[in-house]
Amino acid sequence: MNNVSQIVQKVRQAPWRVQRQWVGLFLLGLVLVAMVAGIYLNITVRATVAGREIQMLQSNIFNDVPDITDNRRTNADLETQLAGLSSVESMQQRAEALGFQPASPDEMTYVIVPGYTSRKAVDMSTPGSNQPQPSLILPEYTESLLDWITHRLASSVTTGAQP
Amino acid sequence: MKMPYFGRYLAIAITMALAGVAIPIQIVRVQSSPEVAGITGKGAYVWSTFYPARGEIYDRNGHLLAGNKTVYEVGVDLTVNPDVQTIALAAQMALDMDPAEVLKKMTDVPEGTQYVVLEDFVALDKADQLMKLQEDARSDPSGRNLDALHFKAHLMRSYPENDLASTVLGFVTEDNHGYLGVEEKYDNVMAGIPVTILTPADPRRATEYPQIPPGQTLILTIDREIQASVENILDSALASTGSASGTIIVMDPRTGEILAMSSTPRMNLNDYQSVSEIFPGETPFNRAISEAYEPGSVFKILTMSAALDSGTVTPDTIFLDTGSITVGGNTIYNWDRGAWGYQDMTGCLAHSLNVCLAWVSTQMGNDTFYSYMQRFGIGHPTGIDLAGEDPGRLKLPGDSDWYPVDLGTNAFGQGVSATPLQMVMAASALANDGKMVYPHVLYAQLRDGHQSNMSPQVVGTPISPETAHTISEMLANALESESSDAIIPGYRIAGKTGTAQIPTSSGYDENDINASFIGWGPLDNPQFLTYVWLEKPQTNRAASVVAAPIFKQVIEKLIVLMNIPPDNVRLANTGQ
Repeated sequence: MNNVSQIVQKVRQAPWRVQRQWVGLFLLGLVLVAMVAGIYLNITVRATVAGREIQMLQSNIFNDVPDITDNRRTNADLETQLAGLSSVESMQQRAEALGFQPASPDEMTYVIVPGYTSRKAVDMSTPGSNQPQPSLILPEYTESLLDWITHRLASSVTTGAQP
Repeated sequence: MKMPYFGRYLAIAITMALAGVAIPIQIVRVQSSPEVAGITGKGAYVWSTFYPARGEIYDRNGHLLAGNKTVYEVGVDLTVNPDVQTIALAAQMALDMDPAEVLKKMTDVPEGTQYVVLEDFVALDKADQLMKLQEDARSDPSGRNLDALHFKAHLMRSYPENDLASTVLGFVTEDNHGYLGVEEKYDNVMAGIPVTILTPADPRRATEYPQIPPGQTLILTIDREIQASVENILDSALASTGSASGTIIVMDPRTGEILAMSSTPRMNLNDYQSVSEIFPGETPFNRAISEAYEPGSVFKILTMSAALDSGTVTPDTIFLDTGSITVGGNTIYNWDRGAWGYQDMTGCLAHSLNVCLAWVSTQMGNDTFYSYMQRFGIGHPTGIDLAGEDPGRLKLPGDSDWYPVDLGTNAFGQGVSATPLQMVMAASALANDGKMVYPHVLYAQLRDGHQSNMSPQVVGTPISPETAHTISEMLANALESESSDAIIPGYRIAGKTGTAQIPTSSGYDENDINASFIGWGPLDNPQFLTYVWLEKPQTNRAASVVAAPIFKQVIEKLIVLMNIPPDNVRLANTGQ
């Protein structure tokens, strides 16, 4: 029995075994550091790509890609072009080309239509336009890890407080 | 005891350890290096100015009257060794620029200049042509190079209807400033506020740009169909009567909304640089609000209204017209120098008798007459929301240039000046149960998609509702008794002509007159109030001949465009 115990004790205390344990621990730490670095790189790259996309979509000062400003300008331009195509002069010419002519009072026939209301001026309100516009960038792109944890804790506390 | 493969394990461990340390060090080193810091560091910010789009202008039915179109700033990047000869040639071909001037722009610049603007506000088609030349040059083996050309798109004002309602709208110059009309009056709200912010170049610092609100969009009371019809009628009238200029205003007397306002000359607002040629010297941009004149007999409606309201006369009051009357030591005659005998007040209006109206004003006296004229707003600007309004002039007793005879002459619209719009505003009291309304062209404002409509404003009640009904009835009867050319079959209209002499520095002009007509209808429920003024018509010297038919043409259009049925149809429908 003593011999067996001595052999086990010797193997446990063998220098190469101790060294191997240290090397293993070191490699384990290294792997952990590499994982953290990898996650950091991955998050940084994704955040940078997202930020770049935001920049590109918001303004073309960094690139030549059409952005929000360009689209708004294009819309305004197209609206003006459309107005030119449907101007009074254009519409009159088209009407005349189709054989229409301006009506005179003695050519008018009035029919009483119950419930008819005369033409009202235009209402160009946009439905729901009084609601404040939400932020375009989601908080995931701007909040820090601490902000995220705080936000989650706050929301869980709020949720828990609800009946 | 030596561990097997110990050396190998040690080498791997050291290599991985070095790599594990080197990678984070390299990350930190790269991020903190001066090169990267210069691009993405705290100092790498770009000043960016965001110009809000100028608010648009619509008519009351949502038709665009003033919008924005894309134009380009064409510039050259001097940091990339531009091929100046080729660029100069291309600019000549596409932009009609002088190549020598283009060369000078690119070469005669201060040291260190990185960018020069060749031309701004280049139209889309010309810019497209230049872009195509640039594209062609890229595949040209001869070595021509237009890569240094840069195109920066932006918006500028555009008027799709060209000269329609031009005297109402005004125009915007290239520096985004509005001049005259609505563009000047509402310049601040339509232009918006440019915002300059520091934009980080580092994508990781990307922040949400402030949402630049565009300038406010305006909806006018103008109806473009009515406006176009009125302008056509006015142009035809000037041609047929040989008049020097003309003005027509159409207003809703119940609300003060201007449905159409036209005067000559007009201009294509997309070519605003020609403004000084079209409006030389003192030529007013919008005669309807900027040119006060002696309106003549149309003013009699105000005198008679004041006399009726003050109880000085009734419609049945009889006046013996002997052909002249002396006021303040001066003798006043009728327009035809004739004596019309016994006339009631309707007859005085129907025959437009100066002597009778001068007698009426003297019966009222200075205090009453001028008090009423001030209540009608004569001598004060109406406050219409258009730039450049003239207040006119009402001389009052006590003024250095007022003489007793003015009481008599003012009664028939001489010796007093008013703009057509002032006359319209004053007459709105007669057409609107005694309530005088504020004339305006703004129907609504659009902000953040929300429309705020203007409310009609009553600026005074110079006469009672009874007086307003009485004078309207008298004027309708006067038109019918004279078989006026202004009468529209099926519709009762109240109206009055005005033939006025034109004052000069040496008395009144012997040759030319101003011809005017004011009227409203339908009489039982006025929906339009129209003013016509022809300046110096050459074919006839009587407003009843030159102005009344023009008024009729306008009303015939209004009836159709505003869907106003004849009196019998309308009254039958309302059970009256």
